[in-house]
Amino acid sequence: MENQLISVSDFIALANQTFEYAYPTVAIEGEVSSFKINSGKYVFFDIKDNESSLGCFMSVWQLRVPIEDGMKVIVIASPKLTKWGKFSLTVQTVKPSGEGSLKKSFEILKDKLAKEGLFDEDRKRPIPYPPQSIGVISSTQAAGYADFIKILNERWGGVSVETANVQVQGDVAADQIISALKYFNGLSQMPEVIAIVRGGGSADDLSVFNDELLVREIAASRIPVLVGVGHEIDESLADLVADRSASTPSNAAQILVPDRIDAAKNLQYKFEQLTNIFISKIELLESSHQDLLLSSLRRIENGFENIESKYNGTRALLTVLNPRNILERGYAILRGKLAEDEIIEIETNQFKIKAEIKEIYE
Amino acid sequence: MNKNLQIEIDELNKLIEWFESPDFNIEEAIDKFKVAEKLADKIGEDLKNLKNEVSVIKKNFDSKSL
Repeated sequence: MENQLISVSDFIALANQTFEYAYPTVAIEGEVSSFKINSGKYVFFDIKDNESSLGCFMSVWQLRVPIEDGMKVIVIASPKLTKWGKFSLTVQTVKPSGEGSLKKSFEILKDKLAKEGLFDEDRKRPIPYPPQSIGVISSTQAAGYADFIKILNERWGGVSVETANVQVQGDVAADQIISALKYFNGLSQMPEVIAIVRGGGSADDLSVFNDELLVREIAASRIPVLVGVGHEIDESLADLVADRSASTPSNAAQILVPDRIDAAKNLQYKFEQLTNIFISKIELLESSHQDLLLSSLRRIENGFENIESKYNGTRALLTVLNPRNILERGYAILRGKLAEDEIIEIETNQFKIKAEIKEIYE
Repeated sequence: MNKNLQIEIDELNKLIEWFESPDFNIEEAIDKFKVAEKLADKIGEDLKNLKNEVSVIKKNFDSKSL
Protein backbone atom coordinates (compact mmCIF):
# COMPACT_ATOMS: atom_id res chain seq x y z
CA MET A 1 0.00 0.00 0.00
CA GLU A 2 1.37 3.33 -0.98
CA ASN A 3 1.63 6.20 1.46
CA GLN A 4 -0.75 9.06 0.85
CA LEU A 5 1.07 12.16 -0.24
CA ILE A 6 0.26 15.19 1.86
CA SER A 7 1.72 18.65 2.32
CA VAL A 8 3.91 19.67 5.26
CA SER A 9 1.14 21.85 6.63
CA ASP A 10 -1.37 19.02 6.36
CA PHE A 11 1.00 16.69 8.17
CA ILE A 12 1.44 19.18 11.00
CA ALA A 13 -2.34 19.65 11.18
CA LEU A 14 -2.78 15.86 11.21
CA ALA A 15 -0.17 15.44 13.93
CA ASN A 16 -1.87 18.10 16.03
CA GLN A 17 -5.27 16.41 15.54
CA THR A 18 -3.71 13.16 16.72
CA PHE A 19 -2.24 14.84 19.79
CA GLU A 20 -5.53 16.53 20.53
CA TYR A 21 -7.35 13.22 20.35
CA ALA A 22 -4.78 11.18 22.25
CA TYR A 23 -3.59 13.77 24.78
CA PRO A 24 -6.00 16.72 25.02
CA THR A 25 -4.13 17.73 28.17
CA VAL A 26 -1.26 16.17 30.04
CA ALA A 27 0.17 16.83 33.49
CA ILE A 28 3.94 16.67 33.47
CA GLU A 29 6.32 17.15 36.35
CA GLY A 30 9.84 18.41 35.80
CA GLU A 31 12.44 21.06 36.53
CA VAL A 32 12.28 24.49 34.91
CA SER A 33 15.16 25.80 32.83
CA SER A 34 15.69 28.69 30.37
CA PHE A 35 12.71 30.57 31.84
CA LYS A 36 12.03 33.89 30.08
CA ILE A 37 9.21 36.33 29.41
CA ASN A 38 9.16 37.96 25.95
CA SER A 39 7.63 41.41 25.36
CA GLY A 40 5.88 41.15 28.73
CA LYS A 41 3.33 38.84 27.11
CA TYR A 42 4.73 35.41 26.32
CA VAL A 43 6.38 32.96 28.69
CA PHE A 44 8.89 30.40 27.43
CA PHE A 45 10.69 27.75 29.43
CA ASP A 46 11.90 24.19 29.22
CA ILE A 47 10.81 21.42 31.53
CA LYS A 48 13.28 18.61 31.98
CA ASP A 49 14.31 15.55 33.91
CA ASN A 50 17.63 13.69 33.97
CA GLU A 51 17.38 12.53 30.37
CA SER A 52 14.89 14.67 28.42
CA SER A 53 13.66 18.19 27.92
CA LEU A 54 10.45 19.75 26.50
CA GLY A 55 9.79 23.32 25.38
CA CYS A 56 6.84 25.08 27.02
CA PHE A 57 4.87 28.17 26.01
CA MET A 58 2.13 30.12 27.79
CA SER A 59 0.64 33.62 28.04
CA VAL A 60 1.90 35.74 30.89
CA TRP A 61 -1.62 36.17 32.34
CA GLN A 62 -1.82 32.41 32.83
CA LEU A 63 1.22 32.54 35.09
CA ARG A 64 -0.37 32.71 38.55
CA VAL A 65 2.69 32.00 40.68
CA PRO A 66 6.34 32.99 40.27
CA ILE A 67 8.47 30.45 38.44
CA GLU A 68 12.21 30.45 38.02
CA ASP A 69 14.97 28.17 36.80
CA GLY A 70 15.68 25.14 38.94
CA MET A 71 12.15 25.05 40.38
CA LYS A 72 10.26 21.78 40.30
CA VAL A 73 6.84 22.30 38.71
CA ILE A 74 3.78 20.51 37.42
CA VAL A 75 2.44 21.80 34.12
CA ILE A 76 -1.00 21.11 32.72
CA ALA A 77 -0.54 21.48 28.98
CA SER A 78 -1.55 20.44 25.48
CA PRO A 79 1.15 19.04 23.17
CA LYS A 80 1.54 20.86 19.89
CA LEU A 81 3.69 20.77 16.78
CA THR A 82 4.39 24.28 15.51
CA LYS A 83 4.44 25.22 11.84
CA TRP A 84 8.21 25.28 12.07
CA GLY A 85 8.15 21.62 13.08
CA LYS A 86 9.09 22.29 16.64
CA PHE A 87 7.33 20.29 19.32
CA SER A 88 6.19 22.22 22.38
CA LEU A 89 3.72 22.19 25.24
CA THR A 90 1.06 24.90 25.32
CA VAL A 91 0.69 25.37 29.04
CA GLN A 92 -2.64 26.14 30.73
CA THR A 93 -1.40 26.10 34.29
CA VAL A 94 1.93 25.75 35.98
CA LYS A 95 2.44 25.40 39.71
CA PRO A 96 5.39 24.63 41.93
CA SER A 97 5.71 21.05 43.05
CA GLY A 98 7.26 19.87 46.27
CA GLU A 99 7.85 21.75 49.49
CA GLY A 100 11.04 23.49 48.38
CA SER A 101 9.57 24.92 45.18
CA LEU A 102 6.32 25.95 46.88
CA LYS A 103 8.30 27.80 49.53
CA LYS A 104 10.57 29.44 47.01
CA SER A 105 7.63 30.57 44.86
CA PHE A 106 5.86 31.85 47.97
CA GLU A 107 8.88 33.89 49.04
CA ILE A 108 9.40 35.42 45.56
CA LEU A 109 5.75 36.51 45.29
CA LYS A 110 5.64 37.70 48.90
CA ASP A 111 8.68 39.89 48.28
CA LYS A 112 7.22 41.27 45.05
CA LEU A 113 3.81 42.13 46.54
CA ALA A 114 5.38 43.56 49.70
CA LYS A 115 7.42 45.94 47.53
CA GLU A 116 4.17 47.09 45.92
CA GLY A 117 2.84 47.90 49.41
CA LEU A 118 -0.02 45.38 49.31
CA PHE A 119 0.71 44.16 52.83
CA ASP A 120 1.17 47.63 54.36
CA GLU A 121 -0.60 48.16 57.66
CA ASP A 122 -2.05 51.51 56.55
CA ARG A 123 -4.04 49.70 53.83
CA LYS A 124 -5.92 47.68 56.44
CA ARG A 125 -9.50 48.73 57.10
CA PRO A 126 -11.43 48.07 60.31
CA ILE A 127 -13.85 45.16 60.31
CA PRO A 128 -17.36 46.28 61.40
CA TYR A 129 -18.12 44.84 64.83
CA PRO A 130 -20.54 43.20 64.88
CA PRO A 131 -21.49 43.35 61.21
CA GLN A 132 -25.12 43.21 60.13
CA SER A 133 -24.25 41.22 57.04
CA ILE A 134 -21.42 38.86 56.10
CA GLY A 135 -20.52 37.50 52.67
CA VAL A 136 -18.85 34.12 53.22
CA ILE A 137 -16.65 32.52 50.58
CA SER A 138 -16.10 28.85 51.34
CA SER A 139 -17.02 25.33 50.41
CA THR A 140 -20.26 24.45 52.15
CA GLN A 141 -19.01 20.84 52.31
CA ALA A 142 -15.85 21.81 54.21
CA ALA A 143 -15.48 21.18 57.94
CA GLY A 144 -13.99 24.66 58.30
CA TYR A 145 -17.21 26.23 56.99
CA ALA A 146 -19.33 24.17 59.40
CA ASP A 147 -17.10 25.30 62.30
CA PHE A 148 -17.40 28.94 61.21
CA ILE A 149 -21.22 28.86 61.04
CA LYS A 150 -21.50 26.91 64.32
CA ILE A 151 -19.39 29.39 66.28
CA LEU A 152 -21.10 32.35 64.59
CA ASN A 153 -24.56 31.04 65.60
CA GLU A 154 -23.46 30.20 69.13
CA ARG A 155 -21.96 33.61 69.73
CA TRP A 156 -24.38 36.08 68.14
CA GLY A 157 -27.67 36.47 66.28
CA GLY A 158 -29.44 38.69 63.82
CA VAL A 159 -26.68 38.66 61.20
CA SER A 160 -27.50 38.07 57.53
CA VAL A 161 -24.98 35.52 56.22
CA GLU A 162 -24.77 34.84 52.48
CA THR A 163 -22.43 32.08 51.40
CA ALA A 164 -20.77 31.76 48.00
CA ASN A 165 -20.13 28.05 47.64
CA VAL A 166 -16.77 27.62 45.88
CA GLN A 167 -13.97 25.11 45.69
CA VAL A 168 -11.26 25.97 48.18
CA GLN A 169 -8.54 23.75 46.74
CA GLY A 170 -7.53 22.56 43.31
CA ASP A 171 -6.92 24.22 39.97
CA VAL A 172 -10.21 26.13 39.70
CA ALA A 173 -10.37 27.26 43.33
CA ALA A 174 -8.53 30.58 42.92
CA ASP A 175 -10.70 31.62 39.96
CA GLN A 176 -13.90 30.67 41.80
CA ILE A 177 -12.89 32.63 44.89
CA ILE A 178 -12.02 35.61 42.66
CA SER A 179 -15.47 35.31 41.00
CA ALA A 180 -17.15 35.25 44.42
CA LEU A 181 -15.19 38.35 45.51
CA LYS A 182 -16.28 40.14 42.33
CA TYR A 183 -19.88 39.01 42.92
CA PHE A 184 -20.07 40.46 46.45
CA ASN A 185 -18.32 43.66 45.36
CA GLY A 186 -20.79 44.08 42.52
CA LEU A 187 -23.94 43.87 44.64
CA SER A 188 -26.03 47.01 45.13
CA GLN A 189 -26.44 45.97 48.78
CA MET A 190 -22.93 44.82 49.58
CA PRO A 191 -22.24 42.83 52.75
CA GLU A 192 -20.34 44.75 55.42
CA VAL A 193 -17.53 42.22 55.45
CA ILE A 194 -16.33 39.26 53.39
CA ALA A 195 -15.01 36.20 55.20
CA ILE A 196 -12.94 33.70 53.22
CA VAL A 197 -12.77 30.51 55.27
CA ARG A 198 -11.46 26.97 54.99
CA GLY A 199 -9.85 24.52 57.35
CA GLY A 200 -6.26 23.35 57.37
CA GLY A 201 -4.62 21.22 54.75
CA SER A 202 -1.36 20.35 53.08
CA ALA A 203 0.89 23.05 51.66
CA ASP A 204 -0.35 22.06 48.22
CA ASP A 205 -4.02 22.27 49.29
CA LEU A 206 -3.47 25.74 50.71
CA SER A 207 -1.34 26.97 47.79
CA VAL A 208 -4.49 28.43 46.20
CA PHE A 209 -4.30 31.18 48.82
CA ASN A 210 -0.90 32.17 47.45
CA ASP A 211 -2.29 32.77 43.96
CA GLU A 212 -1.18 36.18 42.73
CA LEU A 213 -4.47 37.11 41.04
CA LEU A 214 -6.45 36.09 44.13
CA VAL A 215 -4.17 38.12 46.40
CA ARG A 216 -4.60 41.14 44.11
CA GLU A 217 -8.41 40.68 44.04
CA ILE A 218 -8.52 40.65 47.85
CA ALA A 219 -6.44 43.83 47.87
CA ALA A 220 -8.85 45.44 45.39
CA SER A 221 -12.02 44.51 47.29
CA ARG A 222 -14.18 47.49 48.24
CA ILE A 223 -15.55 45.42 51.12
CA PRO A 224 -13.18 44.69 54.04
CA VAL A 225 -11.94 41.10 53.85
CA LEU A 226 -11.27 38.70 56.71
CA VAL A 227 -9.31 35.58 55.82
CA GLY A 228 -9.60 32.57 58.09
CA VAL A 229 -7.69 29.80 56.39
CA GLY A 230 -5.93 26.78 57.78
CA HIS A 231 -4.46 26.25 61.19
CA GLU A 232 -2.33 28.63 63.15
CA ILE A 233 1.00 27.57 61.69
CA ASP A 234 -0.12 28.24 58.11
CA GLU A 235 0.34 31.72 56.75
CA SER A 236 -0.72 32.52 53.21
CA LEU A 237 -0.34 35.63 51.08
CA ALA A 238 -4.14 35.98 51.32
CA ASP A 239 -3.67 36.28 55.10
CA LEU A 240 -1.07 38.99 54.61
CA VAL A 241 -3.11 41.08 52.17
CA ALA A 242 -6.45 40.76 54.00
CA ASP A 243 -7.72 43.54 56.24
CA ARG A 244 -7.76 41.02 59.06
CA SER A 245 -6.50 37.50 59.33
CA ALA A 246 -7.82 34.75 61.59
CA SER A 247 -5.89 31.66 62.60
CA THR A 248 -8.82 29.29 61.96
CA PRO A 249 -12.42 29.49 60.68
CA SER A 250 -13.63 29.34 64.31
CA ASN A 251 -11.32 32.23 65.17
CA ALA A 252 -12.75 34.15 62.20
CA ALA A 253 -16.25 33.84 63.71
CA GLN A 254 -14.88 34.97 67.10
CA ILE A 255 -13.33 38.04 65.49
CA LEU A 256 -16.53 38.96 63.65
CA VAL A 257 -19.13 38.81 66.42
CA PRO A 258 -19.20 39.19 70.20
CA ASP A 259 -20.19 36.37 72.53
CA ARG A 260 -23.85 36.76 73.52
CA ILE A 261 -23.08 35.41 77.04
CA ASP A 262 -20.42 38.11 77.55
CA ALA A 263 -22.80 40.69 76.07
CA ALA A 264 -25.55 39.68 78.51
CA LYS A 265 -23.10 39.95 81.45
CA ASN A 266 -21.96 43.33 80.16
CA LEU A 267 -25.59 44.43 79.85
CA GLN A 268 -26.26 43.42 83.45
CA TYR A 269 -23.15 45.31 84.57
CA LYS A 270 -24.24 48.40 82.64
CA PHE A 271 -27.69 48.38 84.17
CA GLU A 272 -26.24 47.97 87.66
CA GLN A 273 -23.88 50.84 86.87
CA LEU A 274 -26.85 52.96 85.78
CA THR A 275 -28.79 52.11 88.96
CA ASN A 276 -25.77 52.96 91.14
CA ILE A 277 -25.26 56.29 89.36
CA PHE A 278 -28.94 57.12 89.83
CA ILE A 279 -28.88 56.26 93.55
CA SER A 280 -25.67 58.20 94.18
CA LYS A 281 -27.07 61.25 92.35
CA ILE A 282 -30.25 61.14 94.50
CA GLU A 283 -28.12 60.83 97.66
CA LEU A 284 -26.00 63.73 96.49
CA LEU A 285 -29.11 65.85 95.88
CA GLU A 286 -30.53 64.89 99.29
CA SER A 287 -27.27 65.77 100.95
CA SER A 288 -27.01 69.12 99.17
CA HIS A 289 -30.62 69.98 100.15
CA GLN A 290 -29.83 69.15 103.77
CA ASP A 291 -26.76 71.36 103.61
CA LEU A 292 -28.85 74.17 102.15
CA LEU A 293 -31.45 73.82 104.91
CA LEU A 294 -28.81 73.78 107.64
CA SER A 295 -27.10 76.82 106.19
CA SER A 296 -30.44 78.72 106.08
CA LEU A 297 -31.16 77.83 109.70
CA ARG A 298 -27.67 78.96 110.66
CA ARG A 299 -28.21 82.29 108.89
CA ILE A 300 -31.54 82.82 110.71
CA GLU A 301 -29.90 81.90 114.02
CA ASN A 302 -27.07 84.32 113.38
CA GLY A 303 -29.62 87.02 112.55
CA PHE A 304 -31.36 86.46 115.85
CA GLU A 305 -28.06 86.58 117.69
CA ASN A 306 -27.21 89.90 116.08
CA ILE A 307 -30.57 91.41 117.00
CA GLU A 308 -30.22 90.18 120.58
CA SER A 309 -26.72 91.56 120.81
CA LYS A 310 -27.84 94.96 119.51
CA TYR A 311 -30.78 94.97 121.92
CA ASN A 312 -28.51 94.19 124.84
CA GLY A 313 -26.12 97.01 123.85
CA THR A 314 -28.95 99.49 123.57
CA ARG A 315 -30.35 98.28 126.82
CA ALA A 316 -26.98 98.75 128.56
CA LEU A 317 -26.67 102.23 127.12
CA LEU A 318 -30.17 103.11 128.27
CA THR A 319 -29.32 101.78 131.71
CA VAL A 320 -26.23 103.95 131.83
CA LEU A 321 -28.19 106.97 130.67
CA ASN A 322 -31.20 106.44 133.00
CA PRO A 323 -31.37 109.50 135.40
CA ARG A 324 -32.73 107.23 138.15
CA ASN A 325 -29.43 105.36 138.14
CA ILE A 326 -27.56 108.69 138.43
CA LEU A 327 -29.73 109.67 141.41
CA GLU A 328 -28.91 106.29 142.95
CA ARG A 329 -25.27 107.25 142.80
CA GLY A 330 -26.08 110.28 145.11
CA TYR A 331 -26.79 113.00 142.62
CA ALA A 332 -29.98 115.21 142.68
CA ILE A 333 -32.11 116.97 140.11
CA LEU A 334 -33.03 120.64 140.66
CA ARG A 335 -36.19 122.07 139.06
CA GLY A 336 -37.39 125.68 139.15
CA LYS A 337 -36.07 129.19 138.49
CA LEU A 338 -32.49 129.78 139.58
CA ALA A 339 -32.82 133.13 141.52
CA GLU A 340 -32.65 134.27 145.11
CA ASP A 341 -35.86 133.79 147.16
CA GLU A 342 -37.30 131.45 144.55
CA ILE A 343 -38.74 128.09 145.55
CA ILE A 344 -37.15 125.13 143.73
CA GLU A 345 -37.79 121.41 143.71
CA ILE A 346 -34.96 119.03 144.60
CA GLU A 347 -35.33 115.35 143.59
CA THR A 348 -33.02 112.74 145.11
CA ASN A 349 -33.03 109.01 144.94
CA GLN A 350 -35.53 108.77 147.75
CA PHE A 351 -37.20 112.20 148.16
CA LYS A 352 -38.64 115.25 146.45
CA ILE A 353 -37.85 118.42 148.44
CA LYS A 354 -39.06 122.01 148.10
CA ALA A 355 -36.39 124.59 149.12
CA GLU A 356 -35.90 128.37 148.99
CA ILE A 357 -32.81 129.86 147.34
CA LYS A 358 -31.03 132.14 149.82
CA GLU A 359 -27.95 133.07 147.89
CA ILE A 360 -26.39 132.34 144.54
CA TYR A 361 -22.62 132.48 144.11
CA GLU A 362 -20.07 131.05 141.79
CA MET B 1 -32.93 42.64 63.83
CA ASN B 2 -29.26 42.94 64.64
CA LYS B 3 -29.38 46.59 63.69
CA ASN B 4 -32.13 47.14 66.23
CA LEU B 5 -30.14 45.29 68.86
CA GLN B 6 -27.10 47.45 68.20
CA ILE B 7 -29.26 50.59 68.22
CA GLU B 8 -30.76 49.51 71.53
CA ILE B 9 -27.31 48.90 73.05
CA ASP B 10 -26.18 52.32 71.81
CA GLU B 11 -29.32 53.92 73.29
CA LEU B 12 -28.64 52.31 76.65
CA ASN B 13 -25.06 53.59 76.56
CA LYS B 14 -26.35 57.10 75.79
CA LEU B 15 -28.73 56.93 78.74
CA ILE B 16 -25.88 55.90 81.04
CA GLU B 17 -23.83 58.84 79.69
CA TRP B 18 -26.75 61.19 80.41
CA PHE B 19 -26.95 60.00 84.01
CA GLU B 20 -23.22 60.74 84.38
CA SER B 21 -23.38 64.09 82.58
CA PRO B 22 -24.04 67.60 83.97
CA ASP B 23 -27.40 67.50 82.09
CA PHE B 24 -28.73 65.13 84.77
CA ASN B 25 -31.81 66.43 86.54
CA ILE B 26 -34.12 64.59 88.87
CA GLU B 27 -37.32 65.50 86.97
CA GLU B 28 -36.21 63.72 83.76
CA ALA B 29 -34.19 61.04 85.50
CA ILE B 30 -37.14 58.97 86.67
CA ASP B 31 -38.60 58.68 83.15
CA LYS B 32 -35.21 57.98 81.63
CA PHE B 33 -34.51 55.30 84.21
CA LYS B 34 -37.79 53.55 83.29
CA VAL B 35 -36.82 53.67 79.58
CA ALA B 36 -33.38 52.20 80.41
CA GLU B 37 -34.98 49.43 82.45
CA LYS B 38 -37.24 48.42 79.53
CA LEU B 39 -34.35 48.63 77.06
CA ALA B 40 -32.16 46.39 79.21
CA ASP B 41 -34.95 43.78 79.40
CA LYS B 42 -35.47 43.92 75.61
CA ILE B 43 -31.75 43.62 74.84
CA GLY B 44 -31.48 40.68 77.24
CA GLU B 45 -34.35 38.90 75.48
CA ASP B 46 -32.89 39.64 72.02
CA LEU B 47 -29.49 38.33 73.07
CA LYS B 48 -31.09 35.05 74.12
CA ASN B 49 -33.38 34.56 71.13
CA LEU B 50 -31.84 36.21 68.04
CA LYS B 51 -30.76 33.83 65.26
CA ASN B 52 -28.61 34.42 62.19
CA GLU B 53 -30.08 34.12 58.71
CA VAL B 54 -27.73 31.86 56.75
CA SER B 55 -28.29 31.25 53.03
CA VAL B 56 -26.23 29.79 50.21
CA ILE B 57 -26.17 31.81 46.99
CA LYS B 58 -27.65 29.87 44.08
CA LYS B 59 -24.91 30.68 41.61
CA ASN B 60 -22.07 28.82 39.97
CA PHE B 61 -18.82 30.63 40.61
CA ASP B 62 -16.90 28.73 37.98
CA SER B 63 -15.17 31.43 35.91
CA LYS B 64 -16.40 29.84 32.67
CA SER B 65 -20.03 30.22 33.73
CA LEU B 66 -19.72 33.93 34.58
